Amino acid sequence: MFDQNTIELLLSSFPKILEYGIRVTLPLAAIAFVLSTVLSVFVAMVQYANLPVLRQICRFYIWIIRGTPLLVQLMVAFYGLPLLGIHSNPFLMAIIVFTINEGAYSAETMRAAMEAVPAGQLEAGYCVGMNYMQIMWHIILPQAFRTAFPSLFNALISMVKDTSLASSITVVEMFTRTKQIAGQSYNYLPLYLEVAVVYLLFCTVLTYMQKKGELVLGSYGVRK
Amino acid sequence: MALLEIKNIHKAFSGNMVLKGINLQVDRGDVVSILGPSGSGKTTLLRCINFLEKPDDGEMFFKGKSHNLTGINGAEISAIRKRTGFVFQNYNLFANKTVLQNVTLGLTSARHISKHDAEKKAMSVLEKVGMKDKASSYPSQLSGGQQQRVAIARALATDPDIIYFDEPTSALDPQLTAEVLDVMRELASEGMTMIVVTHEIGFAKEVSSKVVFMADGVIVEEGTPQEIFVNPKQARTREFLRLTDF
Repeated sequence: MFDQNTIELLLSSFPKILEYGIRVTLPLAAIAFVLSTVLSVFVAMVQYANLPVLRQICRFYIWIIRGTPLLVQLMVAFYGLPLLGIHSNPFLMAIIVFTINEGAYSAETMRAAMEAVPAGQLEAGYCVGMNYMQIMWHIILPQAFRTAFPSLFNALISMVKDTSLASSITVVEMFTRTKQIAGQSYNYLPLYLEVAVVYLLFCTVLTYMQKKGELVLGSYGVRK
Repeated sequence: MALLEIKNIHKAFSGNMVLKGINLQVDRGDVVSILGPSGSGKTTLLRCINFLEKPDDGEMFFKGKSHNLTGINGAEISAIRKRTGFVFQNYNLFANKTVLQNVTLGLTSARHISKHDAEKKAMSVLEKVGMKDKASSYPSQLSGGQQQRVAIARALATDPDIIYFDEPTSALDPQLTAEVLDVMRELASEGMTMIVVTHEIGFAKEVSSKVVFMADGVIVEEGTPQEIFVNPKQARTREFLRLTDF
């Protein structure tokens, strides 16, 4: 399988695959992750604060998104948004779908992390005169974020790999680019193994970053 | 006029009446100790007058202003809280903040005082409670007694008109209890107005200007330490004091 031609193909394709990984896959995952985290904080806060109508809307959103496959959501956006007069490029569309999808999952992570902060922290905040939003910003969210961090990072690692689904809505990302090269050479397996290694490489770096991140965030003087 | 007066506070938790019409008057400089068996409503009373629980009925007069406790709005609550301090049984220091930040946060974020002035104020109150050298520690690095002294500093920093103490030493061993009571004694001697829910009979006797004995959601008896500890009028009070071995 790994004859001279294959090895040359792997070597020549590696920079091309990596290029699309760095230019498309990682930005797609990173942007969608940041946006989904912001979205998840809002959705989690609405539920934490138990705001009447908004809370129901958030539960409905989470129910729909968690109950349908990501691939189906991509397709619905790809064929559905133009019907609503929204014509957008596939990359942007993928960012929107990944943000909305991941937002639903991360919202549950954030909500659980916020609920894990002892009620006394909120009460103490009120008693020194802070209002609800000040307490959220200074006390509850930082503590919740520290708790949620490993789970959120888990989601990021999943998302890096899930971006390959964006190929189904014509986004030329790392996996699509690999398919193109494989199609030209008719030598599929080595190239798919190669792209698998690149994904693994990305995720290894992210795993390392998670470890470092946890150290930087610290745990407020609690010895580990 | 009294600094704080509460009238006819009622509070029920899912049908269970915990406060059955409490009246209390606190003058500036008073140290009011609230004693009573567990479940008598002492903590609930304190939580109701700082709105950590919503009273079902009652009135409050604070610094000459009248507040209907059932119809009170967020702005009134916020204004009253900015003039009061609260010390919890389990300290409730902000876990993600250092000792210094715990004390300054109420000044910088809630009162928009500059960081520089807030830190100056914080260091002076931390010095008062003997915690200045731990300013950069996190709460988890401190003993219970140290955490409670920081919590007292946090309450003091905002120059409150009154501080509420909810069983501040119940989670502490005798030695740590003594360090916290020393700080509270000093505050009392400086004229700080305080309401203290406590099981420390000795402290109540020595420091209080007024002692309130509560049982089953009502005030059974109130008076000077002399009246309550030496000549209690009610059988319920006598029974309680006998059981506490005082």
